[in-house]
Amino acid sequence: MILSDILAGALRSGTSVMLASQGELLSERAGVINLGTEGSMLGGAMGGFAVTVWTGNPWLGTLAGGLCGLLVAAIHAYLVIVRKANQLATGLTLMFFGMGITAFFGRSFVSERIVGFNPVPIPWLSDIPFLGDVLFRHDPLTYLSILLVPCLWFLLFRTRLGIMLRAAGEREEVLFASGINPKLVRGAAVLAGGFLAGIGGVQLSVAYTHSWVENMTQGRGVVAVALVIFASWKPARAMLGAYLFGAAQALQLTVQQQGLPISPFFLFMLPYLLTIAALLLVERRRQSSTPEGLGRVFSGEAGG
Amino acid sequence: MKTDTTGAVLVPADTALRLRERIKPAAWTAVIVLAPFVLYGLFLSAYGINPIQLYVTMVKSAFGDLYGFGEVLIKATPILLTGLAAALPAKAGLVNVGGEGQLAIGALFSTWFAVFYLNQAPAWIGIPAMLLAGALGGGVWAAITAFLKVKGRLNETITSLLLNYVATFTVGFFVHGLLKDPGSFNWPFSPEISPALRLPVLNGTRLHVGFAIAAALAAVVWFVLAKTRFGFRIRVLGGNRLAAERAGFRLNAMYFWVLVAAGMLAGIAGMIEIAGIEGRLRPATGANYGYLGFLAAWMAWNHPLRLMLTAFLIGMIGVAGNSLEIGSGLPSSSVHILMALVLFFLLGAGRRGKR
Repeated sequence: MILSDILAGALRSGTSVMLASQGELLSERAGVINLGTEGSMLGGAMGGFAVTVWTGNPWLGTLAGGLCGLLVAAIHAYLVIVRKANQLATGLTLMFFGMGITAFFGRSFVSERIVGFNPVPIPWLSDIPFLGDVLFRHDPLTYLSILLVPCLWFLLFRTRLGIMLRAAGEREEVLFASGINPKLVRGAAVLAGGFLAGIGGVQLSVAYTHSWVENMTQGRGVVAVALVIFASWKPARAMLGAYLFGAAQALQLTVQQQGLPISPFFLFMLPYLLTIAALLLVERRRQSSTPEGLGRVFSGEAGG
Repeated sequence: MKTDTTGAVLVPADTALRLRERIKPAAWTAVIVLAPFVLYGLFLSAYGINPIQLYVTMVKSAFGDLYGFGEVLIKATPILLTGLAAALPAKAGLVNVGGEGQLAIGALFSTWFAVFYLNQAPAWIGIPAMLLAGALGGGVWAAITAFLKVKGRLNETITSLLLNYVATFTVGFFVHGLLKDPGSFNWPFSPEISPALRLPVLNGTRLHVGFAIAAALAAVVWFVLAKTRFGFRIRVLGGNRLAAERAGFRLNAMYFWVLVAAGMLAGIAGMIEIAGIEGRLRPATGANYGYLGFLAAWMAWNHPLRLMLTAFLIGMIGVAGNSLEIGSGLPSSSVHILMALVLFFLLGAGRRGKR
């Protein structure tokens, strides 16, 4: 009973991070690291919530939130790709930009209440003992996000578009030689990543908490960036990592309810420590799986 | 919203280049510096707030009287130190985004020592001891990143970023537990440190000697980098790793100690926040200063003395946020928009004469 609660909670609270990390994965595969994911998520959470309040329709809210995330990412794309600015500094600035602009516009939405997305049990499947509780009693965005992962994998590793995208991150000369503008591919990847991060934000405000609070993402965007590295730039592993993060949060709630003598803070730390431990373990393989264009960002060579 | 000033920056790169050839570089710089303020002003006036009044208040509160000037310096102090924590490793080719966590653990260590060991200590022993504790805390925290880099070949950008969160939760663990004030009615903060341990304050302001400490450390970092053999080696390492290797430098040892030194600087920022401003440790003590410091260092091109200017600028914008909140009821964080705009224009303008 408790286990199924924790696992279901892992999905529920991990989904926003998962969506953002899938978006970040696209962007990093194309050679751009975007710490501004935090800003995109905040933009999505706030914009999606506002439109849901105005229209009463959470699907319109989702679309709007995605577009807000995309707009924030567009700043990153312009500065990093066109103006060749330092990727880490731009991303951090974007994070503060997102915090500021959503605090400004979100001020009047703080006390609003919405219906938003609610869990939709899937008929038949949700009656399966255990699995039904864990997997099939969620909000629509959570279902969609699960479907997204195999789609992204297929896109990245089985389509021509995916090859172009990965080439933009590994060896842009190759892409250039085949007559495609790597900047265009990279820009598209960053924008798509921002869109997904924005929807991640919507899941947080419209489906999970049904409210808007200033700076409500609390670093989930940065976690998403870290998860991508933890996942060696693979969609399924990023999903696993996000649910691990969600599980730690859900576990913390359960531990408090049961009154167990474990400090919740150790559980909060767990996902981050696990990420570092996993990085240590996969270090050898990571060297080869890092998109080559990204390596330059991390060693501080790219951008001015 | 497009004005002449901003339009010039938003046009495609080749047009911008031609423009740049025509306008004198000084005028160009003026545009880049002024455009964000114009843009933010338009933004505010669209929401019925008089931007000119805001900027006047901002400048007045920063330069009008000693108190306001002190407030800006107080805000700039931790940013200067965490900025140094980013700038020093950057000279060695390292990216330290862990100032946030190093500051937090520095604050934790110094509070721990202040509360448990230095409660009866006179100021002349207690304050230096707290400072050392803060430096130790930040140094230890950075040493984790450094160790993982040197022994585990983990990228310091990623580990230092991840450890920021671990640090925040570590502070949370202590202020909810071992360090919790028994008389706090369940609020998560530490007991207050003894009055003898508070940094001396300039009369009529809240400005404490912490700023002088930070400025002195900036000068020391500049001196070490520019005038000593070790500083030269750091710059060689940052400029050309292969050359440093061929010259027989012990790269791993250098990476390790540069990161630890950076962590110590950020840890001192944490101590100054405790002993200078807060008096006790809270879960969010010093939040965001690490990231702001990183941005200040970037703006200063990692030059320790220029960093004093950029830290001051960011401090000024931060103080403006408070007056924005009091004056027009906007959330104080909406001033982040102005700061971000300033940085966007700088980032977009790029660096001429790099390094």
